[in-house]
Formats: sequence, C-alpha cells, structure tokens
Amino acid sequence: MANLVLKDVQKIYPNGFHAVHDFNLEIKDKEFIIFVGPSGCAKSTTLRMIAGLESISGGEFYIDGVLMNNIEPKDRDIAMVFQNYALYPHMTVYDNMAFSLKLRKVPKDEIDKKVREAAAILDLDQLLERKPSQLSGGQRQRVAMGRAIVRNPKVFLMDEPLSNLDAKLRVQMRVEISKIHQKLGATIIYVTHDQTEAMTLGTRIVVMKSGYIQQVDTPKNLYNKPCNLFVAGFIGSPQMNFFDAVCHVAGDKVTLQIGKSVFPVPADKAAALKAYDGKTVVLGIRPEDVSEATADDIAHGQTISAEVKFYELLGAEVYLYFDLEGTRMTCRTPSSTELQIGDIAKFALDMNKIHVFDKETELTITN
Amino acid sequence: MNTNTMSYKTKQFLMFAGVTTAVFVAVVIIPFIYGIYLTLTSWDGVSLSKPFVGFENYTSAFADAAFWSALGRTFIYTFIAVILVNVVAFILAFLVTSGVKGQNFFRAGFFVPNLIGGIVLGYVWKFIFNRAFVAIGTSLSVGFLSNSWLATTKGAMLCLIIVSVWQYAGYMMLIYVAGFMSVSNDVIEAAKIDGCTNMQTITHISVPLMVSSFVQCLFLTLTRCFMVYDVNLSLTKGEPFNSTVMAAMHVYNQAFTYKKFGLGQAEAFILFVVCAVVGVLQVYVGKKAEVSA
Repeated sequence: MANLVLKDVQKIYPNGFHAVHDFNLEIKDKEFIIFVGPSGCAKSTTLRMIAGLESISGGEFYIDGVLMNNIEPKDRDIAMVFQNYALYPHMTVYDNMAFSLKLRKVPKDEIDKKVREAAAILDLDQLLERKPSQLSGGQRQRVAMGRAIVRNPKVFLMDEPLSNLDAKLRVQMRVEISKIHQKLGATIIYVTHDQTEAMTLGTRIVVMKSGYIQQVDTPKNLYNKPCNLFVAGFIGSPQMNFFDAVCHVAGDKVTLQIGKSVFPVPADKAAALKAYDGKTVVLGIRPEDVSEATADDIAHGQTISAEVKFYELLGAEVYLYFDLEGTRMTCRTPSSTELQIGDIAKFALDMNKIHVFDKETELTITN
Repeated sequence: MNTNTMSYKTKQFLMFAGVTTAVFVAVVIIPFIYGIYLTLTSWDGVSLSKPFVGFENYTSAFADAAFWSALGRTFIYTFIAVILVNVVAFILAFLVTSGVKGQNFFRAGFFVPNLIGGIVLGYVWKFIFNRAFVAIGTSLSVGFLSNSWLATTKGAMLCLIIVSVWQYAGYMMLIYVAGFMSVSNDVIEAAKIDGCTNMQTITHISVPLMVSSFVQCLFLTLTRCFMVYDVNLSLTKGEPFNSTVMAAMHVYNQAFTYKKFGLGQAEAFILFVVCAVVGVLQVYVGKKAEVSA
C-alpha cells in the first residue's frame, strides 16, 4: 500500500476557472480518507487529479515519494470505482474483473485465482458468466469493487460509488466497503456528498468548499470541534442550529444574550470570548443539545420559550422545529415527548456543548 | 372506448400512417412487383406488347457471361471499397472526436463530398485524373502521374475506388462519430486506469461497443457499392475495354441500350437478390455481436 502527498495542488481550467486552490494533504498508508463537501466543491476534480484523469495545473503529487504529476493513469498503480460503475458492457463479470490483469500479461491461472478470490469476498461467485446488463445495481457495484480489488493496487479511489443505490442497499454496501478496507488494509480515497457515509467510513475526513480545504480531521473531531461555521453546518444531520447572540463579559463571567434570555457560558469556554465583550457572535448548538426544559432549567431562567411549528417522528426520536428570533431551530428529543404542533414549550440549551463563531470571519472562537 | 379492437387499431394506423403507406405502396411496392412480372416478358421497353416468356430471361441471364463478369468485378470493387471507406471513415471519426481544434469544421468538411451528386463528382475527378495529375506528373517528371490512370484497366478501377472512398467516407464518418460519442467517457477512463494504452482502448473498448455503427456503415456501403452507377458512368463509362462496367451499368445497358428490357430486369432482380442476401446476412451477424449497455 502507499503514502500519498499532495503539495499546493491547483486545478485551473483553460477558461481560467480556478477549481482547486492550494490543496495540501498527506495520506498515510491504510488510511480511509473521505473527501466531502457540497456539489461543485471540487472533491471529484481532486480525486480525478490523483487518478491522472485530470492534469494538475500547479503543485506536486507524490505516491510513495515518486512525483506523479506527469505519470499516465495506467502507471500510477491505482484502481478506481466510478459513480455509475463504468463496467465494460460487452464483457462478462469475470472478464470485467480479469481485464486489467490480462493487460498486464499476468498468467492465466493466477488471473483465475485472483478473480475467484475477489468474487468470493464480494459474493459474486454465481454471477461470473453474466454480462453487466443482467445485473442489479448492487451487483454491478460489487463487480466494480471486484475489478478494483483484483488489481491489489497501491490506492483505491472511489467516486461516490453508492450514490446510485437505494437507501437500504447503500447501508448494506457501506458495511461491505468498511469490511473490505479492514480485510485488505488498503489506502482508500472516497468522494461523497453524503455525510453519513463520510462519518461512518472515514478514518479522516477532508471537508471542502469552493475548491478550498476547510478542515481535515477525524469524524469525531469534525463533529465536536468544527473549525468554522461551514464545517459546523455541513457536518451533522439535522444540521447545527445557529443564531446571533450578544456577548457580555463581567470579570471572569461571560454570558450570551439571545433576545431576552441570558445564558452563562461555562468557564472552559469563557476565556476565548473575553475579547468579544459587547459584540455579536454566532452561537451554534446541535439539535440533540437542545432539550425540553426541566424544572431546574426553568427555575434558573435559562430557557427559550417557543411554539412548536413542525413535528417529525423518526421512530425512536422526534425532531421538533420552532422559531427563535426569526431563526428556525431544531430540537432532537426522544419520541416519548408529549409536545405537539402548536404547543408553547420551554427549551433548554446544553451550554457545555455550544460552539461559538466569529460573525465576521466565521471561524470558531470556542467549541 | 375499447382500444384493443381490430377496427380501432386499423383506424389508428390509417390515421397516422395511411398516407405514407399508400405512397410507399404506389411508388415502391407496386413498381417492384410489376418489375418482377416484367422479368417474365420479352418487352423491349418501348412497344405496347409484353410477350410472356416465362423464365427465359433468367436462363439468358445465367448464360450471360458479360453479366457474371460485371457482377464479379462489382464484388471485387465492393470488397476493396467497403474496406477502404470504413477504415478511412473510422480514422476520420476518431480524429474529429479526439478533441482537436476546429473538429466541427473538419466534420462538416469531410461530409461535403457526400452532398455532391455522383455525376458531378465523376466529372470533377475525371478532370483531376486526366488533366491535373498528368500536368503535375509531367511538370515534376513523376512517372506514375505522367499518364492518366483512367487509361489503364487496373488504373480505372483504382480511380473508381478512390472516388467512391472520397464520396462515402465523410458520410460513414458521421455514423462512426455517433458511435464514438455513444461510448461512455467513464468506461474509457476506467480502461485507462485498468492499464489500456490509447490503441488498446480503441481495440478492446471502443470498437466492441460500436458494433451497431459498424453494422450500419457496412450495410450502407455494401448496398451503395453493389448499386454503383452514377460515378461509374461519369468517371469511366465502363472504359477502357469495358473493364469497369459494374453490374448496375451492365443492367442499364441491357435494358436501355440494347432494348432487352426483360433480360435487363431479370439481371437487376438477380443483383437485388445477391445484394439483399449479402446485406441481410451482414446485418444478422453484426446484430448478434451488438452489446446492450
């Protein structure tokens, strides 16, 4: 397997459009890296530059210390799984999987052994003589994976491989991909816009926006310690609640005022906010950290009073939507709640879990 | 309303396809059947009487050495022209889909010869072979250009093939362009990552996925070459020494020059059967190799 280094990589199209800006990333052997971001953030472009399908306009890209900028895709020792699988329609499943090995003039019995091993891993044994048109979406996806596996390449590249599958199959294949990663110990770069895939599969996630890396971190850190407003809003479903709050500093005590309600900031977060006395900041809190207020919360006056506008039952839990100072808020609460649409309820915020962002720079002040 | 009844379906058919079917029957089917009837007569093409002679014309046709000789010549011409037309068309299609600058201009340019009628094309090229090439050959002392190629039997056949390739390659190119464009870009990229060189990508991926284009092009070129007449007439007129008389020209001469309409019609029918058998066989074999994506 392999170490990859991307140094100040840029992509500028002939029409002058700057798609990727100063992309710096070091990928260690056996890592499962996820590129995630909204449509048009250049995650697929970056992956295609790594594959050699797009030229690199600037910067350097190394695999195991070898500069790859001008190396043909076939000589990079990579395998790629495409969004629409890109199987060869005129070949059987067996031939699709064996094709790359045949091109490399691998002995026939070795090809046969490798194809059958991969087929066994992916449960394709019974389908080897079928053509892609005779397969379901999930089976095609597995063949595309098999085609990559038989090569035993240095790096696996996957460009939204599950996006054409239905929800149930997607969950199933997600588990399969995770198993394959553990079994093969492969270095994988995986592009997706689905943050659930990103959070469940990746050992590290690269969050991108408009061709810039926003944050590179583990799924847990991205969720708990987002570096800016974009990452905080992008990671997590339903997304984090944001609203403006005025910061007040009195000695060591820092409070955030939202409308008429005032919330004390815990000591570990207060220090970072001292420079923001009198300024408006953006307060972020995840839906699961907003709850129905307890008697204790009400006694301390640290609650928000609002009317429940929408109610979404998801089985084990419920999303309650309400407005606060003109901003839509979401509360994630157990389905045992008695609240219904139209109820005026009091909600409490877990101030230990808040995130505060600079309103101008959108960077995180404290997590 | 019951939409599954015969009368409803007939009405629907007549409403949408009635006029075109009537025209098709009037100008294709009836003349075709009447033409077959004429093969059983000794009509001279002019008189009112059409004496019925049974299969005598077919017996004469099978005994007509000149007809079989023309048919054999047509086979040779068709074999070479079909290969060259398709090879040239495929190469042109590859070039104009490879992202070269001004590829739309080239596509249009290569197609233009197909828009010029065969008669005009023949005369233009006759001038080129007889005058232009000879003038260049004489002034530059290039031996093989100093005499008109149309003056020798092999040279005239070569000229006929060259003009046919020039005429048809642009049209077939468009069909191959459509074929190239129908191959998914992802599949091509997957092949490149799998280890294919550019040539291997064409031979292993593009060509097998373009079988339908090959089937269409081969059918069109086969039938066109079997039926070649206009270029044949204007470029060589079958000369020198009748060495370039193709089957269609022979049939025309029998019917209209020698006034043996029945015999000419019988030979035309034989030519049709040969052409249809070769064409249908080729389409049948080609269709079997087509891939459903």
